[in-house]
Amino acid sequence: MIVAEMKPLSEIKEMIEPYEKVLVLGCGSCVTVCLTGGRRQVELLASALRATKKAEGREITIGERTIPRQCEPKFVDQIKEDASRYDVILSMACGIGVQGIVDRLRKPPVLPAMNTTFLGMADEGGNFHEVCLACGNCLLAFTGGICPVARCAKSLVNGPCGGSRGGLCEASKDNPCVWQLIYNRLKELDMLHLLKEMSHKRKWPVHPQKMIKEDPVIKKEQTKGA
Amino acid sequence: MSIETMPPCQAACPIHTDVRGYVAAIARGDIQSAINIIREVNPFPSVCGRICTRACETACRRGQVDEPIAIASLKRFAADQTKDLRPGVRPGPYYNDTVVIIGGGPSGLTAAHDLALLGYRVTVFESQRELGGMLSRGIPEYRLPRSVVKADIDYILSLGVEVRTGMALGRNFTLDELLKDYQAVFLALGSERSLFPKCKGVELPGIITAVEFLKQVSEGLRPYPGNKVVVVGGGHTAIDAARTCIRLGSKDVTIIYRRTPEEMPAGKEEAEEAHHEGIKFIYQAAPVEFLGKGKVEKVRCVKMEFADKKASRRSKLVPVENSEFEVKTDAVILAIGYEPKKDILEDTGVFAGKGGRILIKDETGATNIKGVFAGGDVVSGPYSVVHAIASGKKAADSIHRYLRNLPPKEIAEPEVIRPIDEKIVNLIVKSLRPKMNMLPVEERIRGFDEVSRGFTRDQALAEAQRCLNCGSGAVISDECVACFNCVLVCPYGVPVAGEEKAKIDISQCQACGICAAECPASAIDVKLEPKIASSKKLEGAIEAAKMQKTEGFTIGFYCQYHPSEVLSSTATGDYLVGKPCMARIDVAQLIRPFEEGSKGVEIRKCDYEACRFKGCEEWIDKHVHRAKKILEEIGIDAERLKIIYEKKEK
Repeated sequence: MIVAEMKPLSEIKEMIEPYEKVLVLGCGSCVTVCLTGGRRQVELLASALRATKKAEGREITIGERTIPRQCEPKFVDQIKEDASRYDVILSMACGIGVQGIVDRLRKPPVLPAMNTTFLGMADEGGNFHEVCLACGNCLLAFTGGICPVARCAKSLVNGPCGGSRGGLCEASKDNPCVWQLIYNRLKELDMLHLLKEMSHKRKWPVHPQKMIKEDPVIKKEQTKGA
Repeated sequence: MSIETMPPCQAACPIHTDVRGYVAAIARGDIQSAINIIREVNPFPSVCGRICTRACETACRRGQVDEPIAIASLKRFAADQTKDLRPGVRPGPYYNDTVVIIGGGPSGLTAAHDLALLGYRVTVFESQRELGGMLSRGIPEYRLPRSVVKADIDYILSLGVEVRTGMALGRNFTLDELLKDYQAVFLALGSERSLFPKCKGVELPGIITAVEFLKQVSEGLRPYPGNKVVVVGGGHTAIDAARTCIRLGSKDVTIIYRRTPEEMPAGKEEAEEAHHEGIKFIYQAAPVEFLGKGKVEKVRCVKMEFADKKASRRSKLVPVENSEFEVKTDAVILAIGYEPKKDILEDTGVFAGKGGRILIKDETGATNIKGVFAGGDVVSGPYSVVHAIASGKKAADSIHRYLRNLPPKEIAEPEVIRPIDEKIVNLIVKSLRPKMNMLPVEERIRGFDEVSRGFTRDQALAEAQRCLNCGSGAVISDECVACFNCVLVCPYGVPVAGEEKAKIDISQCQACGICAAECPASAIDVKLEPKIASSKKLEGAIEAAKMQKTEGFTIGFYCQYHPSEVLSSTATGDYLVGKPCMARIDVAQLIRPFEEGSKGVEIRKCDYEACRFKGCEEWIDKHVHRAKKILEEIGIDAERLKIIYEKKEK
């Protein structure tokens, strides 16, 4: 899941300063789950912005809307008419969502209310942790299903550094040394030999990457009479 | 689990009163709404508020935690507070059909009430001088004052019901005559003939039936029964007769009942009251002979035991051999049961069965004669007032369907909310019923003043706020994104992760509203106070404040479960928005007043120890902390958002 957090309100305030009509647009997927950009946050941000404008003695129009996924063109198309009534869209989605809107709507401009932080998962207490860097060459088969690329402070793929102390990382005492975790896991599974077989060649792809559907889209016309 | 399942109180009530609805209305101090909800199904709220058999209280889930809600007493409070209320618009009549009701007791009058509201012309024939049946003649004033019965009856009559008292079936008119003038007849004749025990000497002077005795007293007579009195029986009437004797000057009153205290049809509380007033009880004994020269002087009794010793309640009894004993007495009052007056039905052609009870064909209450319906005690035998009301309601509906040619009513058994799981029971904050003010014993026994004085406003609100609002809790919509934040925040552990979305068992939810305030998708609503209602309240308060306080205003949130706050809400200069629990106020609601230029927002936080919700304080603090942070970031002085602590006086 993509984790994102809201930018400081002062920054958002500054961004929307030139505009009279702002649509705060939430996203119902990842950012709702990580409690930062769903319908409730939209309501809160819109309310805060209205209050700050009121305090400044300025009345501005702030609309609220949340769609299931800002990265889905079919959802973005549904807000076309609504969006045309605003001077700017303040997106509460991740960076993908912001660009999803830009890709479909020529107007109005889109501003990010969020900083996209990492790809992560929740623990039992609902806190989110970075666990994947989307490196493009997954080595989890060799590391007991625990990723050193994302979870080692130095992204080391050939064992721990000298800063691993008592199972903890020298960069932050709150973090376990991921290589200790990998070792423990493999030992438990009696699969330590995998470490010897491992070789990770990290890909350095040319951006932007693409994933093209292998099967061509069947046009409706072609299916007629078939 | 359907979200429309019925709370157990409502399911247990023979007329399915929306108990949860009116108790919640009282809890927020809205007595008018409470009485409206009660009156939707019950034309005898003042009466039922005092003498109902209260199946609802037995079913109440609060009983799993500590004590059931004092539902009847709350009904009494609502009725007493609104006793001058009259129907806004007098209905109809819309139809030309006329209906006659024979018998002006609770069943007949309920049918009259419902039929009048449906738009029929209704006439009630009552054989006695006064309406009310057993309510007026059989229940002493210290338990049910005549003025109370009159208040309920007056309301019914104000709907335009015609009454003819002193008119008895068979004596003043016949059923055939009525059927010529009226399109439908409801026989609600009651069941007022006393049963006599089959023992020698029952004809001796000094032996009287409880019905006759209580009737004399109800007519204003004050007979002196004698110094020593024996009352035979264990029902409400037996206790009523015994307590009446004490009030008439008898010094030594004994109730003889053939079964155990647990089996006594009279309530435990009534038996306790009688005990406080000095009445003695002899259990598991029955009279076999009344002895005396010219008048009763002694009762010979025998001990009783279960025929099958292993048998449970209400199994057959047999006398214990050689267990006879005698009780000296000046008078005997018999209260062992009633049956309908059989002779009334002679020559009517209406079929009656064992003990003179009218035989009805089916659920509609139709008798063997077309257009003639029957209900109340004359069909069921002696039962409770609320069953009589239920029977009257059913008759009114059946008569309406009969006259309008409508199909019979389909009655679906309600799905009832399950009991509370043991682990949740342990998490619910305990609190007991407020003690209702009672007339001191020495004052009681001097006259017929009502013994229970009813709840005060504070007591009623506090008691209503103990209600667990069963089934009014959180409901999850399709908007759920399965973040399972609700699973993390619920103080009772009710939400669980389902296969696709979160699931909340409405039968276990305590309606604290924390999950709704925390749901990032706004996918949870709480039926006790839905988001729309909550937002309307806040917007209304802000609107009023802006209009009236041009110099600036403050919005205050207070807890509705804090009775004194409800009282002071209109007294302060601020604009207050009540919330069922303060933890339910979400951060956006705290910021919202600032959008409209509010000078400040205050949270009147009540005493945590008195709070019915677990862990609410932590959530109030969290929400306020988050809101303050936002205010700081947008450049509004965070001190303008304040928590005001109010320690409740103990």
